[in-house]
Formats: sequence, C-alpha cells, structure tokens
Amino acid sequence: MKKKLSWIAAGLLVAAAPALAHHSFAAEYDNNKSLKLTGTVTKVEWQNPHARFYVDVKDDSGKVTNWEFELGSPNGLMRRGWTRNSLKPGDVITVTGYQAKDGTSLGNARTVSLADGRKVFAGSTDDGGPTQ
Amino acid sequence: MRSHLTGWILAGMAALAIVALTPLPVAGQQAAQPDTGLGGPGRGRGANRPPAGPTPRLPENPLLGVNSGKPDLGGKGMWTVPYIIDMQKQGCVLGDQKCYDSLGRQHTTPVEVPFNAAARKFFDHATETNSKDDPEGFCLPPGVPRMMYTPYPTQIYQLADRILFIYEGGAHVWRLIWMDGRKHPADPNPTFLGDAIGHWEGDTLVVDTVGFNDRTWLDAAGHPHGEKLHVIEKYTRSDSNTLRVEATIDDPDFYTKPWTDVTFATWSPGQELLEYICQENNRDLQHLVGK
Repeated sequence: MKKKLSWIAAGLLVAAAPALAHHSFAAEYDNNKSLKLTGTVTKVEWQNPHARFYVDVKDDSGKVTNWEFELGSPNGLMRRGWTRNSLKPGDVITVTGYQAKDGTSLGNARTVSLADGRKVFAGSTDDGGPTQ
Repeated sequence: MRSHLTGWILAGMAALAIVALTPLPVAGQQAAQPDTGLGGPGRGRGANRPPAGPTPRLPENPLLGVNSGKPDLGGKGMWTVPYIIDMQKQGCVLGDQKCYDSLGRQHTTPVEVPFNAAARKFFDHATETNSKDDPEGFCLPPGVPRMMYTPYPTQIYQLADRILFIYEGGAHVWRLIWMDGRKHPADPNPTFLGDAIGHWEGDTLVVDTVGFNDRTWLDAAGHPHGEKLHVIEKYTRSDSNTLRVEATIDDPDFYTKPWTDVTFATWSPGQELLEYICQENNRDLQHLVGK
C-alpha cells in the first residue's frame, strides 16, 4: 500500500537531527526516515514538554492515517512568536520531519507550511532561547 | 568511541540554523556554523542584542551584603543558556583563549575527560543507546553543572547573604547558593542539585557544591557521576553580554582526576522567564527506543 509520503534518502538532504532540549532525538527519531506529508490538522495540543499536532493524511487508496507531530516546547515556540492559534484544526498543511524509530505514525516536525505557502512553527524545535 | 548522538545533533544544529533563519538573509559562513545555542550577533536568536558594554556592577551598599560593589549578575533580562550536549566536544579547554573569544563556537581542542573504567563503560553504553536513558528525558532536574548546559534560560538574583538561580527549564527549579560563610554539612543527604556554598574571588563568583544524588548525567552524551561528585563553578560576567561558566568536575568513583569545562551564557535584555512544566505530557518516553 503506497502511502502518500515521500521517503527521501538522507544523503540527498542535509543530515539533520533537530535539537531537542529535554530528550535525545536519536533515541526516538530516525534521521534516515524523512517525512513529507500533506493533510488536514485535526488537533493541536499546546502542552509541555512538546507542543503537538495531529493531521489526517490520505494515501492513494483513500485510507486515512492520523499522524502525530512533535514541535518544540510552548515556551520556545512563544519566544519565536508562535501562539496556540498559529495552527488550527481544519488547516490544510504540508509538514516535513522525521519519523519515530518505533514505526508508529509519529514524527518530529521540522517545517509546517499552510496551503497558502505561509510557514508556521519554522525552527520550532530550537532550544528555547530568545527570539530574534 | 565518539558519541554519534552528538555528532549528528551538531550536524542537525547546522541544518536547524538554516531552517530557523529562513527566510532571513544569512551569510553562508554563519549558516554553516553549528548552532551551539549561544546566540550572539548575526545569529537568529540574539541578533538584536546590543554590543557588549562593561560588566555592570551593583552599588556599594551595606544592604547588599556580600554582593555590595560586585558584578551585577542580573538586570532586566535573562541569560540564554547554551545547549551543551557533549562536554568533550562543546566545552572550551581551560586557557583556550581562541575558544573563549568565540564563546565556544570554535572548538579546536576537545576537552580530555579522564575516564576510569566504570565511567568509560557507562559513557560507551550511553553512546550505543543514543542516550535513551538520560534522566533529563524523564523530566528530572539536569543537575550541576548541567543546569547551565540545558537550553532554557536562567535568571540570577543576588541577596545580601545568598544568590538565587531560577531556571526556566530542565525542570523549572531554583538553586540557592549560600554566601554567608557557612560550611557544607558533614554528611549531607543526597539531592539533585546538592548543597551549594559560594564566595566572591575578585569579580568571580565561586560556587562549591557537594551532596549530590547519582540520578543525573553531567551532559546528554552520558558523562556519569556518583554521590561523591564535587563541582566547583566559577561564574564571571566578563562583559554586559557574557557569563563565563567554568565548571570543574571531581568524582573519584568515575574520573582519575578533576577536569574542567568552560562554557558561556549570553545576556538577552528585556526577555523574561516563561513557564515550562516538563512532566505535563511527556509522551516521548514510550517512544524512546534507543538504537
């Protein structure tokens, strides 16, 4: 079953492992499993230690999978100017990131783009320092 | 032998710097440099930081007790703390002026850690398992000196007889440094942050801490310690923007001799601490598989 997601060879990208402040990225996510998914946001959790959002992604056969994506912590996101309303249920987005090593439908989000091209939560997993 | 975790987290930070700054115009050299979390001019965070001025000082006033006339470690703002994942690779070697001048961004000389066999075994296991067992991943306090290696900001308050550190993250905790001349208890009960006493040596705050439990790691890479850990930290606000943090680690159960790491926090004027309650929804735990 071909899912609507692109596995991109890590070598073609910058070998990116986002900096997570409170746990090891490498223990949870696989930087060889890049994700690029498009779908509809179903829920946003503005919570510690990581904000999360969920997105329904339909594959070519029409099967819908609800993916969970991890962002930075709310304090770090706020310093970058994001709010709990930056992303809302119903938004159609494209998210790039890395999948969890355990093979579940969980990813660490790197970029989130709205349908009109605006990016939200860019750099969201940065380390909580002050915004520029 | 090297920590893969650190290697590619550092690589990731370089990528992250690019992602974080897009679409801001960034000079190629800056973007290619690993983001040590130190901020600073020309980087995304802290790009608007004013140029460094002289070290701010507290007035001469008996009400300020031991801090009268001493460097002001606070002000209206906060310290942005670097993300030191591996003390070997990201800390400056004592006396490495080049590393100091670049606030730790140029690490020409790795810190040599005098492992004993037990520490080597522990560290290698942490490397092999991608630090999945790091206590900080479980939302426990980072410990000492790791409070200054965990990238959540801190504020320092100087009272007449004590100095108070408030940490936004790691575990949203505080640390009290007694400056009233007291000694450590003879046999302190173990705690995450230990028993800390301090004094001024010129313009440097020296903090001596013992009485730790063995439930923290010194860094995310997995440098271990036990209850015999004795840490001496030297804090120097070398200019208005820079807090130099020199930490000397002594633990005879894990290291054959004391060793020292130098790191830097940077001042973020006008910024305030925010709430961070790590244990609220730590769903990562069920997915931390390691390899």
